[in-house]
Amino acid sequence: MSILQLPRIHFRGQMSWDPIVTNNYPNFYNEDTAQPALTPSESMNQFRQAAIEAAKGGNWNPHGTHRSAFFDTSVTAVDLGHGPVTTDKLCGAPAVLNAMLVDLEPYGSCSSQLFFDTLRFGIDGGCRIVAPRNERFTARYINFNRNPFGFTAGGASVNWQTTFATAGLTINSHGSDVLHALQQALHEPDALGLVVAFNAYRTIYFDDPTLQNSKPPSIPVQNQREMLYQKLLAGGFQPNPARSLIVGTIGVWRKGEATHEPSDRALLPDANAKAFVATAHARIDRGHVNLDLSNSISETGAALIKQDLGTLQVVAVDAASKKEYQLASFNYPQYDRHAYEASAGIVSVPLNPALSAADLAHAELADWQLRSSKEGLLLSESATRIIPQSPNLYLDQGPAGNTKLQLYLHGKPVQKISDVTVYQVKTNLQTEELDIIGTQELKTNAQGQLVISADASTGNVYGYLPLLGKNLPPPPDLKDGIDTQTYTYAYVRVLPADSATAALPPTWDNVYKNVLINWNAMAPCMDNWLDLANPVQVHNYTSILQRLTDPKAFESYLFMPVTRDMTVGQRSLLNNFLKQALPHPADLAEKVSTRTVAAAAPVSASTAPQQQPNGKPNFVELSRSLRNVDNE
Amino acid sequence: MIRLQLNPIASIADAQAMLQTAINVEFGTLPPYLYAQLSILPGSNAPAMARLQTITHQEMIHLCLGANILNSLGGSPKLVAPVYPGPLPGDIGFDGKVLTLHLLPFGKDAMKQGMDIEMPVDPIDFPQLKTATLTATKAVTIGQFYEALDVYLKSLPASAWQMNRNQISDAQFFPGQIFAVNNYADAHRAIQVIVSEGEATSTSPLDFSNELAHFYRFEEIYRNQVLTSIPANPGYAWGAPLGVDFAKSYPAVNDPQLLDYSKQPEAARAAQQACTVAYTAMVDSLNLALNGDAAQLGIAVRRMFDLRMAAIHVLQTPLADKSKVAGPAFIYHAA
Repeated sequence: MSILQLPRIHFRGQMSWDPIVTNNYPNFYNEDTAQPALTPSESMNQFRQAAIEAAKGGNWNPHGTHRSAFFDTSVTAVDLGHGPVTTDKLCGAPAVLNAMLVDLEPYGSCSSQLFFDTLRFGIDGGCRIVAPRNERFTARYINFNRNPFGFTAGGASVNWQTTFATAGLTINSHGSDVLHALQQALHEPDALGLVVAFNAYRTIYFDDPTLQNSKPPSIPVQNQREMLYQKLLAGGFQPNPARSLIVGTIGVWRKGEATHEPSDRALLPDANAKAFVATAHARIDRGHVNLDLSNSISETGAALIKQDLGTLQVVAVDAASKKEYQLASFNYPQYDRHAYEASAGIVSVPLNPALSAADLAHAELADWQLRSSKEGLLLSESATRIIPQSPNLYLDQGPAGNTKLQLYLHGKPVQKISDVTVYQVKTNLQTEELDIIGTQELKTNAQGQLVISADASTGNVYGYLPLLGKNLPPPPDLKDGIDTQTYTYAYVRVLPADSATAALPPTWDNVYKNVLINWNAMAPCMDNWLDLANPVQVHNYTSILQRLTDPKAFESYLFMPVTRDMTVGQRSLLNNFLKQALPHPADLAEKVSTRTVAAAAPVSASTAPQQQPNGKPNFVELSRSLRNVDNE
Repeated sequence: MIRLQLNPIASIADAQAMLQTAINVEFGTLPPYLYAQLSILPGSNAPAMARLQTITHQEMIHLCLGANILNSLGGSPKLVAPVYPGPLPGDIGFDGKVLTLHLLPFGKDAMKQGMDIEMPVDPIDFPQLKTATLTATKAVTIGQFYEALDVYLKSLPASAWQMNRNQISDAQFFPGQIFAVNNYADAHRAIQVIVSEGEATSTSPLDFSNELAHFYRFEEIYRNQVLTSIPANPGYAWGAPLGVDFAKSYPAVNDPQLLDYSKQPEAARAAQQACTVAYTAMVDSLNLALNGDAAQLGIAVRRMFDLRMAAIHVLQTPLADKSKVAGPAFIYHAA
């Protein structure tokens, strides 16, 4: 990941998150059929009311919009090789990102994405970067254990990353040294563009940082839910966004580097570690060891004081000879809160001057560790990683699609044939466990690339977990969920073909009952822009609807539906309706849906998130608890 | 330039009255700004649209911040819908002329009007207002008006401020931009935001968050040029085209409140009536929200969207002169 190289730009601020979360609940939404769970006799209004009633039990944002945006965010420092500097002309420039937060797997918490059009740092006429979207932002390495004091998902932090191709970038330096350096770097032969990564942490719900998870919910939590419920009952538009702190870094994206997640050396939580530190990425650049700790070290409480692990050492260990090379060490002030906020969690430390060139060459081939003077071994490198190029893949039911992955060794792409055992996993709502629904024994090609043929035979949401080696057993705790700190993974969502819907006559009755009611029920915020139950309005918006629902606009900020769950059949029926003359006014009234959706079993109550005996978090419990604190 | 009447502030009641005026000044700027914004043809003038959207959003935020100060001092905000064309509340004019605000479609005249409203304070006048004990009525800019208010508020004892009284926060809308006012420090910060975003400073066109202040955003659109950083004094110069095409706007009449709707087609009357209903409902909900009814803020926002939808419709409905349309007239029709 090239944010570990120079030059780099740091930014800091906050981000609001306003997803509709009603579709996180199986009793409201079936993610395989991509339909709200409207019962045959249930009207749109009844469904909406049920979602409001669920606010008392944890459905914290039925009036969400999915909009997510930076706020109070600006460039804080730049690094040209002398540590974070705050005097560059770019410092203070506002950072602007308006995005739509969408989970590929609505029930889960490991497949979040941000769809957006442009990321901007600075303003027109001043020093600035304008970066049109190349790929959506993808969340990976979710750290469920970051802030245990947080309420609901406030306990987690997560890395977001994407890249921007040079061709689309506008960079005006206007006397900014770092932007000038960035422009120079982008002319280097291996430069592809920019990489932007940020970490979101300390998330607050109900605008109340004092809320905490408990069973049963505390009085303050109940009070907040009741206030939200009363607002929702009063009507209008009542969003209830969450907000996180963010720290981030801009760097140069170079050939061979992954787009959606870091591809540098991955130092993973060691199974025998006495203290939990989440995965960090590392590389040597220009005589420094650079370590990305943006997602790694927990805060100890609401004051955001970083855990003091004493002196931290980066050590390379030759597996064969057991010889150790002390690469660098740094103390608490270099990773405390102040340092974290100043450099977005990136620690850059000069290489140990006692190392010879030969030592360094050996160290580059060895596995690295992060050790604490207080806690001992914290992180151990996983030398080989296989990283998805399309980590969240959407397919329409039909022929299989491809999801591609690249093999890396010590942070660099490897061009060799390797065996890979791939497990296909899916959430079992009955048992709340991950089921293995398939296994494939595959090989990378000579370029180190793996292509998995993603099954698209039916509506489905599932994940792929690749393990490097032949006939490898699954991770022993896989049923508890993907250990997001240890494994790379790819998610796939297959939308049903829905050909029966496509074949329906394009009457208003059919288009409403089989298409529009779904989002009218699930997304009350749509009332702000378009009454989906009003055929005249819908028809008046024909050109806009055709443009915004066109699959070509899939990556754009305004794509509809935001949740990317309209089937081919539904789109076909909608388009057939829109092509016609305006329907007769007698057909105006909202129709009660006759759609039958097999109601998924409600999630049963479970205990609060717990750690396993080895101290590692139980990822499935933590993941579920993020979505549904009370399991209601 | 709007010049507001600045009376001596000798009591909290005086400050409340001043804040009431300030809130309605913020409120009164919104219809002219929205009229221009809404009349931009869809898909055109993206840079101008973005600038106008930011300005209107920030005026809404200023309104809430002003109301938060007033509520914290025990007052009760009351939005009063102005008549257009007409002056803003408290405007006593400058050089003998009151600035009469019009509802003007997107064009140079509308942008010039925006500049007039947001014109920065004259730095020479500014120091003269550093007193809380003015003894006579004085004509001042919006920035100066707030400056004088700030000086008075600073003199208040802590007991003058009521904690958490009818405050609008950023919990639902405009994250990071609306905050509760519970003491002088909060009020001072709110005033800084309001003045900075409108007029910036006497030495920089940038506001506190390094974005262009309203006055300069309007001027960029007016001139169709980007205000561009230069290494020499004064630090900025007029640069490349912004990409404004004033022709890409609905053919909306000026001042639709002056239209005789009895002579307009039924469709145009109905479309304008829908705007009136939505606007009236929005004002009513806002008044409740600003006085402590928390759920009404979300209701008011829904009604803003209703007004937007009604505005889009009226802008597409021909008048008797079929080459013209009217934008939303922003008529408040009390029940």
